[in-house]
Amino acid sequence: MSVDEGAPQAEQLTYEAAAGRVEEIIRRLDSGEASLDETLALVSEGKRLIEQCARELAAVGNALEELKLDELVARLEQEAGGAGQ
Amino acid sequence: MLSPMSSLAGNDPAAAAGIPDSPLAGPFPVGEYSAKLREKLRSFVHVQLLGEMVNLRVARARVYFELRDAGGAIPCAVWRRDWEKMLERSGETPTEGMQVVVAGGCDYYPGSATSSPGFSFSVEDLRIAGAGDLLARIDRLRKQLYGEGLLENQKLLSRPLLPATIGVVTGETGKARDDLLAALTRRGWAGRLVWAFAPVQDRHAAPMITRALGDLAAIEQVEVVIVARGGGSLADLLCFCDETLCRTVALLSVPVIASVGHHTDRTLLDDVAAVSCSTPTHAAEAAVGIDCSRARREQAAAARRLTEHAGRALSVRSKQVGLATRLRDHGRRAVLGRARRLALLSRAPSAHLERQRVTLHQQLREIRAGSRRRIGSERSITGTRALVLSRKSASTIVDCRERRPRELEQLGLALAGHDPQRTLERGYALATNAAGEPISTAEQAKRLADLSLRFADGTVRARVSE
Repeated sequence: MSVDEGAPQAEQLTYEAAAGRVEEIIRRLDSGEASLDETLALVSEGKRLIEQCARELAAVGNALEELKLDELVARLEQEAGGAGQ
Repeated sequence: MLSPMSSLAGNDPAAAAGIPDSPLAGPFPVGEYSAKLREKLRSFVHVQLLGEMVNLRVARARVYFELRDAGGAIPCAVWRRDWEKMLERSGETPTEGMQVVVAGGCDYYPGSATSSPGFSFSVEDLRIAGAGDLLARIDRLRKQLYGEGLLENQKLLSRPLLPATIGVVTGETGKARDDLLAALTRRGWAGRLVWAFAPVQDRHAAPMITRALGDLAAIEQVEVVIVARGGGSLADLLCFCDETLCRTVALLSVPVIASVGHHTDRTLLDDVAAVSCSTPTHAAEAAVGIDCSRARREQAAAARRLTEHAGRALSVRSKQVGLATRLRDHGRRAVLGRARRLALLSRAPSAHLERQRVTLHQQLREIRAGSRRRIGSERSITGTRALVLSRKSASTIVDCRERRPRELEQLGLALAGHDPQRTLERGYALATNAAGEPISTAEQAKRLADLSLRFADGTVRARVSE
């Protein structure tokens, strides 16, 4: 059975599931058992998942932002006020 | 007997005058009053007190602790040397939370112009009375919360592996804040950290911690909350055993990670929270489920591997396309070759015919030329022969006319000389058998019964006899 059978959609995967799926894909590719078409499909899926993981990592990798609770509340209220106008 | 402050009126007339219309005596110098107060307190009867030992602190000369129960508390102090004698007598060391009985009396340090005063119960003797009531009460509350299922609520919440926003309840000046920040940074996490500072030690800390937790949980962006505090005595951590705080945490929809005290400390918050951690590093790992730095490296490696596989696959695909192209080209060339061949073959008969026609025409021309040459030649030869023949004919005519009759006559004569008729005419007879064959010997004639004898004028039959 090829590894791609029953693979869930990338949009449904959590970071952990996506990372696990990427490892599974690489194991399958490393085994050398995948056909050419399967290889190309797995590579495409793997790249899509890596991009998804990278987006999630980028959200917590740019710069640490420290806020006091009051500051965050004020900012959220300001944003809500701006959106309401 | 206290002296009124009026005796010092020369120094400070306004203070010495006291409060107008006040029915109270004084004012008195505070030093005198505090000294009298100490004297009065020390005169109180010495008693034994029963309570929970908390905030135990051993200083160089004195040992301090508080004795508490549900109704109140008394600060206690004992000289270090007396403390050690008490321990030696009891054979065990009292610790935080223990129920103890102390014997002694009230004391008061009056302070001075440069030092603060303080009340304490001067302990002269001490006995450990058993397990602390506070601990027992905490244990009862833990069982009650367990019975209500409140210890499980938080543990059933799903925690994000990679939260973008983390709320933290901690003391603003505590070391836990720096430790947690350092641990999150080591984890490679650089999202949004929302601090909700609150006192985390005194008796009034619990409501403020509870409010801070509620405020953080009310913000949708906050995905997980860490409650952090460094190590301390049980009394220091008692606020984290507050029933209202624990019930509030149990009902929050955002997961709470407790990082209170050290490994040996166990508060009710640890039981109620989604995760209980003993160190800020542990709390950071619980809040951020993956090591972001390592995950980034692993992603880069995975991307490289995928790119390598893709490169190889595309290379294979390219080769296949190349082979297919070559096969197609070969096929096209083969078809074209076959078509050319067929076209050639289709044209071959006419070409062949044309060639044959040309050849035949050539041969015909050659034959005609040859014929003409031959005819000419033959005509010449024939002419010559005709000439010769005509010449010979003329000669022959002469011969026929002159010589040949003579020769013919001579031949006739010669021939007549051999004619048997002439022989028969001279009297000879020719004997023949029935078949007409000549009989030339007598022996032949003897064997016949009869024979024919031909004469010049006719034939007769004759019988042979001896």
